[in-house]
Amino acid sequence: MVKKIPRTMRGALSEKLMDCLLETKEGSTVPASLAKTILYYWQRDRLDTQAGLTNLLHATVIADPEKAAKIMYDMGLEEISIALRQV
Amino acid sequence: MMKSFGIEFVPMELFWRTTYYTVQAERLGYDSIWITDHFNNRNVYISLAVIANYTERIRLGPGVTNPYLVHPVMTAQSVASLNEVAPGRVICGIGAGDRTTLEMVDIEMKRPLRTVREAVEIIRRQMEREKGAYNGKVFVTSSGARFNFRTGEKVPIYIGAQGPKMLQLAGAIGDGALINASHPGDIEKAIKQIEVGAEKAGRGLEDIDVAAYTSFSVADDGKSAKKAVVPVVAYIVAGSPSSILEKHDISVEKAEKLRSDLANRRWGEAFGAVDGNMIDAFSICGSPEECTEKIDALFKTGITHFVTGSPLGPNVRASINMFGTQVLPHFKED
Repeated sequence: MVKKIPRTMRGALSEKLMDCLLETKEGSTVPASLAKTILYYWQRDRLDTQAGLTNLLHATVIADPEKAAKIMYDMGLEEISIALRQV
Repeated sequence: MMKSFGIEFVPMELFWRTTYYTVQAERLGYDSIWITDHFNNRNVYISLAVIANYTERIRLGPGVTNPYLVHPVMTAQSVASLNEVAPGRVICGIGAGDRTTLEMVDIEMKRPLRTVREAVEIIRRQMEREKGAYNGKVFVTSSGARFNFRTGEKVPIYIGAQGPKMLQLAGAIGDGALINASHPGDIEKAIKQIEVGAEKAGRGLEDIDVAAYTSFSVADDGKSAKKAVVPVVAYIVAGSPSSILEKHDISVEKAEKLRSDLANRRWGEAFGAVDGNMIDAFSICGSPEECTEKIDALFKTGITHFVTGSPLGPNVRASINMFGTQVLPHFKED
C-alpha cells in the first residue's frame, strides 16, 4: 500500500500519521514491539521512508482506523483511503 | 557556566510518546531531560532506561525523586544502573517530595532537610563504593551495604528546592539546584539563598548549576499558550502557602475557594478562577517571542539552566518544536 504513495508526499504524510498517534486516545492499543520499531525509525530520522511509513500506517490503523483513512483521503490518496476503510 | 536547557516529562503518557518527544528535544538542541517520580505514574527509571536507548547526547535523570518513598541506596542503585546504559549522561534530581502524594501512602514528611542531606550523602557514598558504615540520624547503612558492580562516571546531584533552608542546602551540597518557581522575583530570592548556603560551605555560586524548573507553555498565539497552562497554575495556587500568595497579590480567600473547587472536581469554576496575575506569577507562557523575553529575564537573575516543565503547550509536539526552533536559538547563539 505504501509503495503507491508518491515519494514527494511521504514527509508530510509521516508527520500527519505521527500527530495522529501522539494525539489519539487509543494509543495504548499500539503493540509495544510496533511502537519500538517506530522509535527505531524516528531515532534515525527515517519515518518518511517506505519502511518507516509502513510501520506508522500499521500503528495508526490499529489505534484510529477512521483517522488513518481520513488522512489518506485528505491528502488525495483516495484509493488507499478506500482500501483502509475495507480493512 | 554555559546556558543550558532542559525539559520535564510526567510519565503519565505511554512510554513511546515520552521517548518520541525526548528524541525530538535532543535533536532540537535541548541539553537535559527530567522525568518526575510519583508512584501513581509510570516508573521513572524504566522510562529513563527506554529513553537512554533511543538517545545519544541528552542528559537524563529523575526530576525529582524523594528519599521518603525510595531509600537512597535504591536511588543510588537506579542511577548507577542507568549510568551503565547512558554513561556520563545521568543526572539525579532529589528533593523532599510532594506532601500530598506522600500522605496518600501514609508517609509523613519528617525532617526534610536532614533527610535530603543524608540521602545525598548516601547516594554519593554508594556511587563511590565507599567502605564503612553510615550512621546518620535518619538513615543508617552497614559497612557491607556496597554495590557489587562498578558505578561508572560521577552522577551530578541536583536538589529540588523551594523554601529558603532547602535552597541553602542545595547551595551547600548540591552539584545543582532545581528551583521550583517561574517568576523572576522568586528566582532572584531563591538564588540569594543558594548563595548563602554555598558560602557557608566554602563554595561559590559558580560551583552550582542553578536551574529554574518552570511551568511552561508556548504556542503561536499567547492566548492558546495561557489556556493550556491554566490547570497547572490552578494546582500551584491551590498548593501555595499564604506567604507566597500574598507576595504575588493573590487573595488567600480566592486560593482557598480554588482549592475547594479542585477538591470537589468543580473544574470549570476552579480553572475559571485562574487570572492573568496568577499565570504571570507561576508560569512562563506565551508566544515564542514572549517566552524568549521572560526566559531572558530569568537568565539575568543568575540561573544557568532553564527547564520547561508541564504542560509545555496546547500541543506537546508542536510546542517542543516551537521552543527548539524559535526560542532556543536566541540563547544558544549568545
